[in-house]
Amino acid sequence: MWLKRLSTDRIERCTATPAEKPLIIVEPFKSALRVCALNDAAAALGLRDAMPLADARAMYPALWVENATPQADRELLEAVADWCDGYTPLVGLDPPDGLFLDISGCAHLFGGERALGADILDRLARQGLSAQIGLADTAGCAWAAARYGDRRLVPKGDTRASLMALPLAALRLDGKVLTALAQAGLKRIADVIDRPRAPLTARFGEGFLRRLDQALGHEDESIKPRLPLPSYVAERRFPDPIGRQEDVLGCIEQLAQELGLLLERRGEGARLLQAALFRTDGKVYRLETGTGEPLRDPGRIKRLFIERIATAGDECDPGFGYDTVRLSALVCERLDPVQSGLAGEDNQAELAHLIDRLSARFGSRRLTRLVPNNTHIPEFAVAALPAQAVRGSLAAHALSQESLAQESLAPVRPVRLFSRPEAIEAVAEVPDGPPARFRWRRVVHEVIATEGPERIAMEWWRDADGHALTRDYFRVESKEGVRVWLYREGLYGREMIHRPDWRPQWYVHGLFA
Amino acid sequence: MTAAMPATLHRLRQAVAKIEGQETDLCSGSPVLALGIRTVDALLQGGLAAASLHDIAPAAVRDVGAAAGFALALAARAAKSGGDTLCIQTDFAAIESGDVYGPGCDLFGLQSSRLLILKVSRPLDALWAMEEALKCRALASVIVELPHDGPLADLTATRRLTLAAREGGSFGFLLRHRPSSFTGSVETRWEVAAAPSRPDQFGGLGRTAFVLSLTKNRHGAAGRWPVVWNHHDRDFSALSFGVAEAAVDRPDRTLYSHAG
Repeated sequence: MWLKRLSTDRIERCTATPAEKPLIIVEPFKSALRVCALNDAAAALGLRDAMPLADARAMYPALWVENATPQADRELLEAVADWCDGYTPLVGLDPPDGLFLDISGCAHLFGGERALGADILDRLARQGLSAQIGLADTAGCAWAAARYGDRRLVPKGDTRASLMALPLAALRLDGKVLTALAQAGLKRIADVIDRPRAPLTARFGEGFLRRLDQALGHEDESIKPRLPLPSYVAERRFPDPIGRQEDVLGCIEQLAQELGLLLERRGEGARLLQAALFRTDGKVYRLETGTGEPLRDPGRIKRLFIERIATAGDECDPGFGYDTVRLSALVCERLDPVQSGLAGEDNQAELAHLIDRLSARFGSRRLTRLVPNNTHIPEFAVAALPAQAVRGSLAAHALSQESLAQESLAPVRPVRLFSRPEAIEAVAEVPDGPPARFRWRRVVHEVIATEGPERIAMEWWRDADGHALTRDYFRVESKEGVRVWLYREGLYGREMIHRPDWRPQWYVHGLFA
Repeated sequence: MTAAMPATLHRLRQAVAKIEGQETDLCSGSPVLALGIRTVDALLQGGLAAASLHDIAPAAVRDVGAAAGFALALAARAAKSGGDTLCIQTDFAAIESGDVYGPGCDLFGLQSSRLLILKVSRPLDALWAMEEALKCRALASVIVELPHDGPLADLTATRRLTLAAREGGSFGFLLRHRPSSFTGSVETRWEVAAAPSRPDQFGGLGRTAFVLSLTKNRHGAAGRWPVVWNHHDRDFSALSFGVAEAAVDRPDRTLYSHAG
């Protein structure tokens, strides 16, 4: 599919001016501006691609000129590709202005290939986009037919004959090769198609013949799908768009039922689900939600999407309604049927569902489980991993408690740790000793009992720049009974030799109960 | 009050619930969570009631750590019979009082591998998540931590949470950062202050000590007790205010001489 006037269509869509006004888009090229795209009206005036802007202005001073914005063009192309997902799951981008759609096995759903093409063109035209569609056995041939062919629809087995008459530019060659071919007097595909291959390769490079083979179907060319292909898909189309949230959710539940049957037949459950909502005006919303355990229960799938839609909020605006809703299982895992006991509900499944729901609502990184790390640095000693990702086995190898040998009556690690240690003012009786009093959050605490120091040196790989200082930790109890975990950063002596102006800095790192 | 009374009352309550046709969880598992101190448990008629909401606040701003510790201690006792614990914190509360620290929880008596931690940005989200979580039977307890005095957790909100807790049968602990003046539909309300611990014979820190004030109690009078938390046995005991023993010179300890 070729979006012939992508850039100009984009601008005209936004400004709502009559299409008769000639518009050209210019880009800088070798210290001058030249035309890189133009609309039909401008083409009718005799303006051409790659023409310098000065020439165009000289011919028609009243031209409407815009600067090229490849980024915006790319976004529009991707939006169109998103929308094309409604026709086939396999859509590939062909920048700057083309799309590949693999419609094998999809065409009959829309009343045949011809009807499908007409439907796409019609809907795109209503959106203000002009497109040309080529339809052929191979991607290369379709590309050629869309841009250069007089027959857009190449029948099966007719690939070779239809390519013959087309110019060599239809083979997706770069400019250098094309110039070289033109210099050799080769203009049309018919000129090269039966020539001996060895001299052609020697002269024009391997790429040339590969393009020819791809167009003819001698060499396979795979369309690179833009999105991962889901393992299971269930979809529903509506003649009248639906907009109410309850309707959408009800639809998702029905789709989940269909999906559940498919999954059950294969003994699998979904780990990552995606609901794609196709709005009538072509916008597509994709809502994804992951699960901690493989899942295929429709009710639970619906609950997950209730949470997901609730957080999506305004970014998921139904506008004039959705005409297609699709539910796909992107990642699946084996899920064996479980004998349901007579004892009642299974608590673990309920917990897994709660974890999924909270993760769907707040994001999977916000609901975490703590997994111990093998390090002495307090802030790195545990990692907070998404609860959905932590399966039983991971959490099992717990911290070796012996390393924190209990020689104290009180716990040696605090129950709360500040993610950013808070700087305090502290007074110590001897430079290396524990603090006698400290001021934290503008309150002075008199220390009556301390334990420490517990000296924790940074690991050498964290010390690469020489700034990671050793810490002396103290467990400290104040007169009021407030117990905190303090540390002094840096050692007198060896770590302060190089910094004569260094003063010890104290921090509060954690709170004991 | 005799020891038989709580049991009798419990049986009577179940009978009433059955007559009212109310689905009750009181009969399954442990209906109450005893603190292990006889005077306190007697006032609470056996212990903290399960399937209900309990309000915990520090007596002063500096006692936030102690209040968090008390909530954790209760959760540790609740998790004795299995089940996970969910801690819900707003981002601001985490800045104020620190993140829940795994190794510390392990040492304090609550297995950190059974701990779920949820961070949310708004207090409203925290209450919503708590309501959802309380309905889940697989959790032993849910702790929600609100910054300041938690103005959102008012009568209506706590009523909702209580209903949710009744459905799920787990403990809900509402941890505020300041004592609040709101009337809430809670079973008990505690004000926790840190107390100086009784030092060990070497002059080091002793077991974690609190002063608990029970300011609201559905089943009886209020009270105030100094208590000690034994994190090995996950047990509370009464703190006897004796004169601390004179600190003795302590020899170098192997742990610290190695650590350097």
